[in-house]
Amino acid sequence: MTRDDIQDKILAILTEDFEFEKPGLDDNLRDDHGFDSIDAIELLGKIELTILDFSLTREEKEKAMGIRTINDIVAYIEDIKHSRSK
Amino acid sequence: MKRRVVITACSAITPIGYDKDTIIENLRQGRSGVKPLRDDGLLTRHIHSRVFGTVDYPIDYGFKRHFTKTMGPVAYYACKVAKDVLERSGLSQDFITSGRLGVAFGSTHGSPTVQREIYKTFFNDIDSKFSSIGAVDYLRSMVHTTAVNITRMFGITGRVIASSTACTTSSQSIGYGYEMVKYGMQDAMICGGADEYDTTTVAVFDNLLACSVNYNAAPHCTPRPFDTNRDGLVVGEGGGAILLEEYESAKKRGAEILGEIIGFACNNNGGDLILPNLDGITATLRLALKDAEITPYDVDFISAHATATKMGDVIEAQAIAAVYGDRPLVTGLKSYMGHTMGTCGVIELILTTYMMEQGFIAPTLNLENVDERCNMLRHTREITESNTKIAAIQNFAFGGVNTCLLVKSANEVH
Repeated sequence: MTRDDIQDKILAILTEDFEFEKPGLDDNLRDDHGFDSIDAIELLGKIELTILDFSLTREEKEKAMGIRTINDIVAYIEDIKHSRSK
Repeated sequence: MKRRVVITACSAITPIGYDKDTIIENLRQGRSGVKPLRDDGLLTRHIHSRVFGTVDYPIDYGFKRHFTKTMGPVAYYACKVAKDVLERSGLSQDFITSGRLGVAFGSTHGSPTVQREIYKTFFNDIDSKFSSIGAVDYLRSMVHTTAVNITRMFGITGRVIASSTACTTSSQSIGYGYEMVKYGMQDAMICGGADEYDTTTVAVFDNLLACSVNYNAAPHCTPRPFDTNRDGLVVGEGGGAILLEEYESAKKRGAEILGEIIGFACNNNGGDLILPNLDGITATLRLALKDAEITPYDVDFISAHATATKMGDVIEAQAIAAVYGDRPLVTGLKSYMGHTMGTCGVIELILTTYMMEQGFIAPTLNLENVDERCNMLRHTREITESNTKIAAIQNFAFGGVNTCLLVKSANEVH
């Protein structure tokens, strides 16, 4: 899955499941879209299921709590995939 | 400090309608909201009782996902009626978020629909590599989900009471909300209850032989409170909310007053958790009169709990007779919609205020031949024009909890 594929998937999830309107890649998730900690946990579950196809560790999930933008999400997923492929 | 407590807004989603005019019309026309039990895939084919007090009309919720993500079906009912009440009240946003408004709201057991999904996941996917129990499932299903989804949606920062005492859930909510305002702990309270469509509740009562089973082919003919041919309760769904406010401030801001809560009592039978208890119920009715500082002769109408179980109706009739004799009219409003469980108290209170305002009392539906053991009361057998000044709303629950609310007609609030 390329970076663009991941980005498209994330945009689709945020638009369809989280009802984001016109999400921008550098929008602040909380301030611009009301994305909160409950949403973050829900999104991680969807990322596991639809993109990664494996379960995240607690440490990996905790790293995700610093995410602020869609670009951050995509970078986070790429990092996880990269580190797991080693 | 003892302050007067008035009702300044209300809303009910019931098996006989949502808006006030529809509910009144259905009461006047004697239309039942009991329908065939829907199949929700859980135990349905094993349940003998095939009837349910059903909300089957569309409701336009219009809630944003930001709010719905923490809501199961029960919280939809709760937030909808709470929204109605706040909109109708005319309370300012500053007051709503001031901490002087609290919430007393409950349900029988949160959202069983969501709980079922959690357990399905748990038992089916226990070896899965993914944990598919969502972060919000607990928030949607927890026992205080109705109360806190209301506070979340409207930014309410006052006290939260989340009663969950089965059939006395919402009458307790109203009673405790009344006491909050009466004794100055809060200036206003949103009170009520909700319960969603759920066959597990039917299964529980069915297993206890407490559900109606003889009218599956004619759902509108059951339940039959106080009738010789009654054969048990009918579980139902719905939601209801009222706004309670301190009288002087409500009057000062020009709020419409729909009634006054003048007394409340709640006690426990102190023993058996299922069987109705004459001493316990009788004591509750007397305690409420004492709280209101009125006599039995002041009460014109009794909204009986009257679930249409064999023993429950007889014990309640004996308690009413012991306290009131045969003067007040007595109606079992569950005859129109079944037993809406945690919601029944608030719905029965709201319907009572509607009838008081309209000057009539609806009869107990399906009451054709009064059981001779219940025949010492003044049953409402037909639409009765009535200038009801004070009414009692009685509710009793599994666990031996009894409540009685006393409400004064808006016409009598001076």
